[in-house]
Amino acid sequence: MFMGKKMATRSVLELPDDPRFMDMAYEEQGAVSEEERNLSSLKPEDRETAVKFWQAVKSDFRFDEYLRGCLNCGVCTSGCPAAKFYDFGPREMIQYMMRDEADKIWEFVNKKVWACVQCYTCSMRCPFNNEIAGLIMVLREYSVQFALESAKEILAPYRRVLYTVMTMGNQVTPDMIQPEAFPDWGPQAVEESKNMDVYRKSIPVDLMQRTDIGWHPSLQTAVEMMTIMFESGVMDSIKKVDPDLYDMIEDIYQDRKSQLEEIKEKWEKHELNENELPDSWLDL
Amino acid sequence: MAGERVMVIGSGPAGLSATKELTNMGFNVILVERESYLGGTPKKLKYSLLFPELRPATEVIDPLVKSVQESKNVKFYMESIVEGAKEEGNGFVVNIKDKTGKVTSEKVNAIIAASGFEHFDSRRKYEYGYGIVPNIYQISDIERMLSENKLVTTKGTPPKRVAILLCVGSRDATVGNTYCSRVCCAVSVKQAMEIKERIPDAVVHIYYMDIRTYGLMEDKLYWKSQLEYRVGYIRGRISEFMRGPNDTVIIKGEDTMNLNRALVVPYDMVILANGMEVGLGSKQVAKALGLQFEEHGFIRPSDPDRLPVQSTRKGIFLAGALTGPKTISDSITEGYAAAMKAYEYVTKGIWDESSFGKAVEVVKH
Ligand SMILES: Cc1cc2nc3c(=O)[nH]c(=O)nc-3n(C[C@H](O)[C@H](O)[C@H](O)COP(=O)(O)OP(=O)(O)OC[C@H]3O[C@@H](n4cnc5c(N)ncnc54)[C@H](O)[C@@H]3O)c2cc1C
Ligand code: SF4
Ligand code: SF4
Ligand code: SF4
Repeated sequence: MFMGKKMATRSVLELPDDPRFMDMAYEEQGAVSEEERNLSSLKPEDRETAVKFWQAVKSDFRFDEYLRGCLNCGVCTSGCPAAKFYDFGPREMIQYMMRDEADKIWEFVNKKVWACVQCYTCSMRCPFNNEIAGLIMVLREYSVQFALESAKEILAPYRRVLYTVMTMGNQVTPDMIQPEAFPDWGPQAVEESKNMDVYRKSIPVDLMQRTDIGWHPSLQTAVEMMTIMFESGVMDSIKKVDPDLYDMIEDIYQDRKSQLEEIKEKWEKHELNENELPDSWLDL
Repeated sequence: MAGERVMVIGSGPAGLSATKELTNMGFNVILVERESYLGGTPKKLKYSLLFPELRPATEVIDPLVKSVQESKNVKFYMESIVEGAKEEGNGFVVNIKDKTGKVTSEKVNAIIAASGFEHFDSRRKYEYGYGIVPNIYQISDIERMLSENKLVTTKGTPPKRVAILLCVGSRDATVGNTYCSRVCCAVSVKQAMEIKERIPDAVVHIYYMDIRTYGLMEDKLYWKSQLEYRVGYIRGRISEFMRGPNDTVIIKGEDTMNLNRALVVPYDMVILANGMEVGLGSKQVAKALGLQFEEHGFIRPSDPDRLPVQSTRKGIFLAGALTGPKTISDSITEGYAAAMKAYEYVTKGIWDESSFGKAVEVVKH
């Protein structure tokens, strides 16, 4: 759909916005691609990354399938809950994409792209059948892969969530539901949250009755799950935006792996009874 | 040449005009019409003024109806449909079923299908709330309200703020219709002017993506509505409607001329410019006669450029909106064309072949 050629950013002649000068510029440097032509508003040090970023997005296998065309109708933006509260709108993004505006995309991913709440209303209603929310997701994925400042900033408060997802397979544990994380709570909720422990213990069905964990994977499951995270490249993205977190998870992974190996070895040598096998890594 | 008979199915502008021309040329016509009256959709929905000349619809349709009704060479099958056409001799034997279920056979030399279109039912765009939220209408409802002089809201008073939303059920992949219905821009602009003519202090806004008052209609409708009636044009497609206090309708849209500017605006009345679809009537005709459909669901001519009124089955011709969205004058013209083609076919056996759509695709590796 769009040209995917590799380019080195050359400096485009900057001339006054006057048709006569434009003619001169055209004579001087020939046809300039849209991506290049649109870079002048960016800081010189950002230009190369901006183009690389945009080219990476465009060459993603989902891009041409998700972006089909645009009637400029505004149905996406007018139904968008995020557009109601932020200076953000999905039509704006689709237009930048359709026009190959690398600079505008760059501005967009450095801030606005994070306003979307992924409700998919836009995708469902778009009369051109664009997969708009999916395109936003693609931009976000590449923002993480490119370790953009905006991605680091937005992910920082989610460190603990990332940690629990990667190590335990669930996002939130009951003890993470704390007043600091929910500034909109009223006094009643704050009061109640102090007794989380007691409440949890009194739930009459088997929910493990504790607050520091929500699910109980076996050691084998935990290792398999983490292997998937490493093999699929998820951990690589985390490495770029939060190297400390990466190291921490990597340590845990190695530990668990060797524990599992050890148990397997003992079992094969008949040094373990069945009742000595651990239920999960929590018991180790 | 006496005794040649052509069957015409449908008595809208296209069917009536074909019938009239055929009888003028000395043919007998068997006219099959599903409804109990002649005149097609313009009669069914009681069209008010017609675009682009802004003259009463009756001025155009009634003379056609009258001349067909008075012709001695037309045999009418009202409230009837066709049930299949078998080739026999140099023509077809067609079964006609009336509403009591009685089947009659007629032998004809050729057939003209002119069974027209149906309006998109806006209830299929559920987020628009048509049929649920009061004071939301379709352009196809408004024609009758105008011609019967009953343009009022549920409160019984004339609306003071009116929004018209274009392209409802057209140009919209979410309902499967990616084509433009061609007449609804003109109908909407015309209705906006009719409303302003009756209620001069009303505010009328048209929400559009493109205004397609093509050709000679540009100044007769689009310009005139601004010059003489101060109709407002807002660029953007409304995404949803809500019920407001006092039976008002609140619209949500984006003013796409101002980036990211959301619009939440109340109106007394909202009109949806619902588009044209092939409809069940023409689908039934196509099935009974063994005709083909084109990619949007309309009936496929054997060659859209060279033979627009000739069907894909020998001896059967097409006229009017069953082959795609059209105006009344286009439909009448196609009625003439189909009559002439049928005349040539019956008297001289002329049937043109076309390679359209038959080319075998060669896959190169
Ligand atoms: C709201 C609206 C306003 C419009 N206003 C204008 C205007 O101002 N000016 C203009 O030029 N155009 C206007 N149009 C377009 C116009 O309505 C069409 O161009 C015209 O009606 C098409 O004529 P037709 O004969 O092909 O089909 P139709 O008018 O639809 O007639 C088809 C006939 O066939 C009959 N029929 C259907 N199925 C069967 C069956 N299975 N067996 C037997 N009979 C059957 C139907 O009952 C009907 O009588 C308007 C359209 C809309 C949507
Ligand atoms: S998915 Fe994002 S962009 Fe789309 S409507 Fe929801 S919040 Fe807006
Ligand atoms: S809803 Fe689709 S067609 Fe309409 S402005 Fe948004 S992206 Fe474009
Ligand atoms: S004629 Fe106008 S309102 Fe109708 S589908 Fe086409 S652009 Fe939309």
